[in-house]
Amino acid sequence: MAANSEVYVLGGYQTDFGRNWTKENKHFSALMRESVLGALERCEIAPEEVESAHVGNFAAELYCMQGHLGAFFTEAHPAFSGLPTGRHEAACASGSIALLAASAEIEAGRYDLQAVVGIEQMKTVSASEGGAYLGTAAWYAEEADGIEFPFPKLFGRLGDEYDRRYGLKDEHLAEISKINYANAKLNPNAQTRTWYMNKEHALCRTEDNPAVGGRIRIADCSQVTDGAVCVFLASRSYAERYARGMGRKLEDIPRIKGWGHNTARLRFADKVAESRDAEYVLPHVRSTITSAMKRAGIENVGGIDGIETHDCFTTSEYMAIDHFGITAPGESWKAVEEGWLEIDGKHPINPSGGLIGAGHPVGATGTRQLLDAFLQVTGQAGDYQVEGAKNFQTLNIGGSGTTSVSFVVGV
Amino acid sequence: MSSSKASPSPSEVRRLLASRKIEHVVVLGANGTMGYGSAALFTQAVPKVTFLARTKAKAEEGLAAAIKQVRSPTVATHSAVGDYENDLEAAVEQADLVFEALTEDFAIKKQMFDRVEKARRDDAIVGTVTSGLSINELADGRSDSFRRHFLGLHFFNPPNVIVGTELIAGRDTDPELVDFVEAFARVRLGREMVRTADTPAFAGNRVGFKVLNEAAQLAETLGPALVDRIIGPYTGRALTPLATIDLVGWDIHRAIVDNVFEKTKDEAHATLRLPDSMATLMDRGVLGDKTGGGFFKRDGKKRLVLDIGSGDYRPLEEVLLPDMSYVDAIADLYAQGRYEEGMQAFLAAEGDEAALARKVVAGYVSYAFHRVGEVAEDIGAIDRIMGMGFNWAPPSVLVDVMGPKAAVSMIGEAGLPVPDALASAAKSGEPKRFFQHPHINIGRFFVAG
Repeated sequence: MAANSEVYVLGGYQTDFGRNWTKENKHFSALMRESVLGALERCEIAPEEVESAHVGNFAAELYCMQGHLGAFFTEAHPAFSGLPTGRHEAACASGSIALLAASAEIEAGRYDLQAVVGIEQMKTVSASEGGAYLGTAAWYAEEADGIEFPFPKLFGRLGDEYDRRYGLKDEHLAEISKINYANAKLNPNAQTRTWYMNKEHALCRTEDNPAVGGRIRIADCSQVTDGAVCVFLASRSYAERYARGMGRKLEDIPRIKGWGHNTARLRFADKVAESRDAEYVLPHVRSTITSAMKRAGIENVGGIDGIETHDCFTTSEYMAIDHFGITAPGESWKAVEEGWLEIDGKHPINPSGGLIGAGHPVGATGTRQLLDAFLQVTGQAGDYQVEGAKNFQTLNIGGSGTTSVSFVVGV
Repeated sequence: MSSSKASPSPSEVRRLLASRKIEHVVVLGANGTMGYGSAALFTQAVPKVTFLARTKAKAEEGLAAAIKQVRSPTVATHSAVGDYENDLEAAVEQADLVFEALTEDFAIKKQMFDRVEKARRDDAIVGTVTSGLSINELADGRSDSFRRHFLGLHFFNPPNVIVGTELIAGRDTDPELVDFVEAFARVRLGREMVRTADTPAFAGNRVGFKVLNEAAQLAETLGPALVDRIIGPYTGRALTPLATIDLVGWDIHRAIVDNVFEKTKDEAHATLRLPDSMATLMDRGVLGDKTGGGFFKRDGKKRLVLDIGSGDYRPLEEVLLPDMSYVDAIADLYAQGRYEEGMQAFLAAEGDEAALARKVVAGYVSYAFHRVGEVAEDIGAIDRIMGMGFNWAPPSVLVDVMGPKAAVSMIGEAGLPVPDALASAAKSGEPKRFFQHPHINIGRFFVAG
């Protein structure tokens, strides 16, 4: 296993995930531009300093009829013309895959300062058309073709698998939804910060909260939205200079202390068949989480002050709870009942509101999680700050538990 | 006016939120738009909300409208209904917050506050959603306890969508209480809180309706179609000004501008005079969208526009407009997120229409900056209510994007007074940002329409 990484996180910028860029009549190049220029300004980095850029995006070809997204980075500022750039795709984990590639290049000594942009514009199409596009994150022909909203159904099956192995109550899922929505109210960039939500609504069984896939109802889902997040990753030598220039100590600049990355088989049925006799329903996700901790030199979740996890649906957060080791396998409900997941709880999860509350512009989510982890460990998360956080861990998942990436960010 | 402070630290916010309990809110006038909209908002954060109206049936209508507005039947599980005659005293006695949303009539509100004053607990907060009446006048002559606990909490309609909210303390309102209400509304109700002075129409409507009314005045000679094209989305707004007046209602527009015109005398006084043509048409029943048409109206899929002289409507597409291709060029730049370049194109655009658009924008910026110290303590407060209450580019955002030098010459060319803050920023030549709200994306205000 690779030694502790020396990749520093200098910060970044998130667009307001409540915005609908189609309603503003904007091309996604505007989304790219706002996030990149915002990050330069926020981090006080001159554009000429940036040496390379990685763009994480899932499906601009479908949503925006546009490929070659790495090249669009150069449109954000004249100084970027000529920079080496590229685009990375791994469904909802696209942003994290871009981060992995950028950090690997820093570790290899190729570049000292990298921009990583996660970006997705999704409000360009209707909900059902977009639902079909999202189906391409599964094995489309096998699991999505001809099915309306395939992903809620796949993650409904994750809930069913928990129910079969360990038992699962809807009220625990509703509580997860409630916490994410409540946290989102504290996050000025969250998509749902003004939405009406409470636990009773999450549990209500009326047309205001319709079922969209088995046990998954609207309140259990993250919602599609438009958004971009740009972060800067740097080598140790750049971070030293940067810290000096900003009048800070190098120790105060967060590092990516550890990472994990696994890819399971595409079809959900194959995943659960593989794990039939295992403790964990999605063992490769578990392995992603534990290898990130191990690389960070952190023994278990007790050394993690907070988590930004991939709650594309309440069932995926329910899965994350035991997979992080917060409870024994199958006992995620205990953490829900004990109040451990709340911002001031023992194991805060998604203080930002997560995907359910903050919004899920697919390709931007991994970078959004990393930026939130950065804000937490530098004490800049405002109303959703976890007090005294030093180490935060992310979990970003593409497909039905297929590609998983996790980072431990800490000071 | 309460002094504006740096936003409180998270621990200070926690302390404030723990300093009081709001467990029961009584909404008076809960069948009105602002009444049920506010009541729905409170049910998110408070265990019990009582909807009161003239009759129980009307209160029930309010509850049904609240459920429909936020699309959640759970509003009802937190709510009770009642009427003034039988239920007011019993409800108000238990209330931690009494929220008044009656019709905008001083005598009616005063009469209601007489009853509230007798029934309320000494520590109960009394808020009013008034957009036009004076907080100090409403509190005048009441007990110390009432005056200390009384304030204006001006939500914008619809409150579940528009988060900008004005907080107006009276001269005797307890400052600690004001801090508490600000923290409560911001954190628990998701509001963007803006403290304003107790001046006519407060900050948002004072500045906003000045611009809207100026557009209405211009429509008398230029016609509504051209005016809404000239002061279109490219000038920093999602909805064009005359369409906004139609949406708000001509009667509300008149109430606000008449009130400001009567009670203030500032450098732009003439722009606040209601156009005679609007008054004439209102006598004939034209009130905007709620009466089926105002400056614009729909006929199936067709959009019609008012001929102000005759009061007749004709298809919008038949109105011949001058060449304004500069607007499309600006929209193309905005579409790519090139807001500075779009603004430069606006400043450089030739022709009478562009000059008129710059005059209106200059008037907005000049008027807003000149209100600092009068309607709010700093430009930031006016910026936030224009941005999050009106969804218009805040004055400071326009200045930042065009640069203070260009802003000063635009205002000068329009023959309007240049605010000192802009003059000195332009003179110093040092880069300065007027807009200081890191969580508000300024790009959202530049709609590429």
